[in-house]
Amino acid sequence: MKPRLIIILLVIVIAPLGFLAWLGLRTARNEQAVVQVRFRDLLQGKLGDLSRSIDRLMASREREIERITRLSGLDPDTIRDTVKRERLIRQIFVLDARGSLIHPPPVGLASRAEEEFLARTRRIFGSKDPFARPTDTAGGKEAEHGWYAWYWDEGVNLLYWRRDDEGRMVGAELDRMALLSDMVAELPETNPKTSRPEDGRIDLIDTNGKAVYGWGAYEPGKGEKPVASIPLHEPLGAWRLEYFMPQEDMTGAFSKSALFSLLLSLAALALVIAGLAFYLVREGGREIREARQRVTFVNQVSHELKTPLTNIRMYAELLEENLDEADGKNRGYLNVIVSESQRLSRLILNVLTFGRKEQSRLVLRPAPCVVDDILLRIIDQFRPGLEAKGVDIVFNRGASERVMVDADALGQILGNLLSNVEKYAASGKLLNVSSRTQGDHTTIMVEDRGPGIPDAAGDKVFRPFVRLSNAITEGASGTGIGLAIARDLARLHGGDVTLEPAEKGARFKVVLATPKNQTAPGQAHGGSGT
Amino acid sequence: MLAAVFLIAGTAHASDVKLNVSISSPVLLSGVTQKAYLKVGLTGLPIQERERRTPVNVAIVLDRSGSMSGEKIWKAREAAKMAIGRLGPEDIVSVVAYNHNVDVLVPATRVSDRDEIYRTIDRLDASGNTALFAGVSKGSHEVRKFMEENQVNRVILLSDGLANVGPSSTGELSDLGISLGKEGISVTTIGLGTGYNEDLMAALAAASDGNHAFAETADDLARIFTYEFGDLLSVIARDIEIEINCGPGIRPIRVLGRDAEVYGHKVVARLNQVYANQEKYLLIEVEVPASDEGSQRQVASVNVRYSNTLSRIREVQTGQVEVSFSGSRENVEKNVNRSVMISTVDLEANESTKRAMRLRDEGRIPEAQKELKAGADKLNAYGRIYNEPKLKARGAAASKAVDDLSNGDWNVTRKKMRKQAHEVDQQQAW
Repeated sequence: MKPRLIIILLVIVIAPLGFLAWLGLRTARNEQAVVQVRFRDLLQGKLGDLSRSIDRLMASREREIERITRLSGLDPDTIRDTVKRERLIRQIFVLDARGSLIHPPPVGLASRAEEEFLARTRRIFGSKDPFARPTDTAGGKEAEHGWYAWYWDEGVNLLYWRRDDEGRMVGAELDRMALLSDMVAELPETNPKTSRPEDGRIDLIDTNGKAVYGWGAYEPGKGEKPVASIPLHEPLGAWRLEYFMPQEDMTGAFSKSALFSLLLSLAALALVIAGLAFYLVREGGREIREARQRVTFVNQVSHELKTPLTNIRMYAELLEENLDEADGKNRGYLNVIVSESQRLSRLILNVLTFGRKEQSRLVLRPAPCVVDDILLRIIDQFRPGLEAKGVDIVFNRGASERVMVDADALGQILGNLLSNVEKYAASGKLLNVSSRTQGDHTTIMVEDRGPGIPDAAGDKVFRPFVRLSNAITEGASGTGIGLAIARDLARLHGGDVTLEPAEKGARFKVVLATPKNQTAPGQAHGGSGT
Repeated sequence: MLAAVFLIAGTAHASDVKLNVSISSPVLLSGVTQKAYLKVGLTGLPIQERERRTPVNVAIVLDRSGSMSGEKIWKAREAAKMAIGRLGPEDIVSVVAYNHNVDVLVPATRVSDRDEIYRTIDRLDASGNTALFAGVSKGSHEVRKFMEENQVNRVILLSDGLANVGPSSTGELSDLGISLGKEGISVTTIGLGTGYNEDLMAALAAASDGNHAFAETADDLARIFTYEFGDLLSVIARDIEIEINCGPGIRPIRVLGRDAEVYGHKVVARLNQVYANQEKYLLIEVEVPASDEGSQRQVASVNVRYSNTLSRIREVQTGQVEVSFSGSRENVEKNVNRSVMISTVDLEANESTKRAMRLRDEGRIPEAQKELKAGADKLNAYGRIYNEPKLKARGAAASKAVDDLSNGDWNVTRKKMRKQAHEVDQQQAW
């Protein structure tokens, strides 16, 4: 009983906790994923803003170069003077309407810087119509201006070109370092006082995948992946901005707090449930203990009552023997004493039997007896009381063989049944007891013509402490354990007590295992159990 | 020698800058094709009124990478503070510190509250990598905020390590220098200790017409900052455009030292500034065709435009130089121009120095020593001939460097040589 209770209690505590923990974790994880996505979106948006600021810078540089390429004249002096003054460009080139290079002049007439320009752009001007692109010519109209990117000297260099009214192309080579320097100047710096590692770090990555500039106090580890990344727009399409963020700030801050609150609430819940369970166990245990104490007390009291009662009976009987035949009045008094003390004995016996049964100490001791003799003895005990109430007693004997039977138990069974008749069914004016031995079993029928037992009550009458009417005013008293003990004893004796259908009154059938040899009752005992 | 100086504009202050166009041998031997050296010199004359000077707009860009920690950063802070102490309320200063990140410590501001600037500089500590490109970019951006016509724009870069974040090659930083030079921003580079890349630092300075210095220890910083600010506060002309048109038959072969563009018979060069009491010059080797005895030939006409930062006027000066031809060697020898010859020897020997460095880099030590010794001998010989202390000093230094090529710490020697080469090429006064 006790370990089962503990298991039940554990289940009561652990099952809801486990379920809640699972639910909480799932919610927290979902929430965390949502937060991460939002966070990433936020970072991506921030990179977008930066990318747009670089776009604005590029647009302003494009306007500037556009201005630079609108030269007052295309003679070498004007061009060279412009190159010398403009910090944003390294060289200017001019192609005539047929696409052949007219500036810088060919090697020999060019300065060293111009020769270097020719060397690094040989591939571009060597190819036919280098600036024609499918998208430009799609409309049938040639594009008027654009960027051209080419890889040289470990970096992407940009040419801006523009077609003038006469179909000539005037272009300039953007100074890569000047542009990059402007980008660095445009982008934020790192102020150690205000920038915190948890704000992350943003790197500007060039075509070679190298960080050319970065800001933010956070130091990403080697090989650490950016949490957000955005490519720059053309003509810097191969460049990108990368956002690095401490991992614990991306996930940890949120999950940690979520996990913490979850654990906290779970712990509180566990505490409440465990407290409740502990209270229940304690209360249950106390009640059981108290009940047990009460039973023990009743048992002890009953036991203590047995000895004086036996003495009372013995002396009453001795007195009866010594009494004169004629002294009918005193004899009547003695009969009342004897029968009442017998009744008290049965009561005590029932209490003790019940107590033993509760403590699983009920043991039968069958011995060779004649069932009918036992039955008669009990009936004789009840005869004075029953006859006083005007009940006729009919006893049909059918078990006169000597069989193995526990006389005390049988006496107690029948006593309880007859006691019920005396108490509740005396109005029927008839008691019919019959016995019959068949094989190893003896059947005893006890019938009356009293009010009977309603079908609905059924087996309930055999449960302890169940009485069909609790009304004390009914005039009958009882402990409510008589039939329960009768059935327990009969079952222990390899049989049963059952309520049989009857036209009028109650009809109980008692079956007992009554073997003729001496070993069988033990087996009957063991096989029946409780 | 015949040098004529025409003053087209700003006569009132023409005396602030003196143009000097001369040739190594005003009298050449007749009948042979020969080489001569054309020198176009610009000398800043002493400033008459002491209070009058050009306002400066300077960004001090300090390396705060891990290698700077300790005494270096401490001395750098002191040197920067001391230099800022020389500036006045007309001047603009900004301070940028960089490691792998860049921090604009003091955004460009007029030098009114020095104490606040000092306190900010004092908070500077050192750690991390070296984003040199980004540091210079942010520094020049600060200068750009207060860019004005008549003011000295300067970025002073102090670094003790190799650039390793962002563009880090000599070529890339040189390109940045060219771009900044076009804007009128010069970058002075100060290499501290033995860990920096002297080629990169010198190239950045040369490309933007700035100074370059080697501070072997942090103790040298105070002296270098003093020199640098001395230059900075004595600028009298800026944005100098020099155009040299060679006469008929005269062919420019090469320009020694400085960067200049040669377009056929035309040579164009640009200087960012001329300092008071200093001469900056362009030395061009030209080929003169064979001519008859007694004839004359115009070698070049020179056109110089610059902004006089004191008068705030854009001035133009022109000059020209002619040669005559004689059959007498004695006559030729007698007329040799001492000043041009000294500059020529100085620059030619410097070419030897640079060649020796390249040879030493390749591990060809004996050849490097031979090359350097040739330069040293030349310096010593002409030093005696012209009794010129500057050449003698350079000769002595070169002779010592010959030994250092094999025995000394090449890293230190190389940085000294690079500094020296820059000094000669750019006519840096210190």
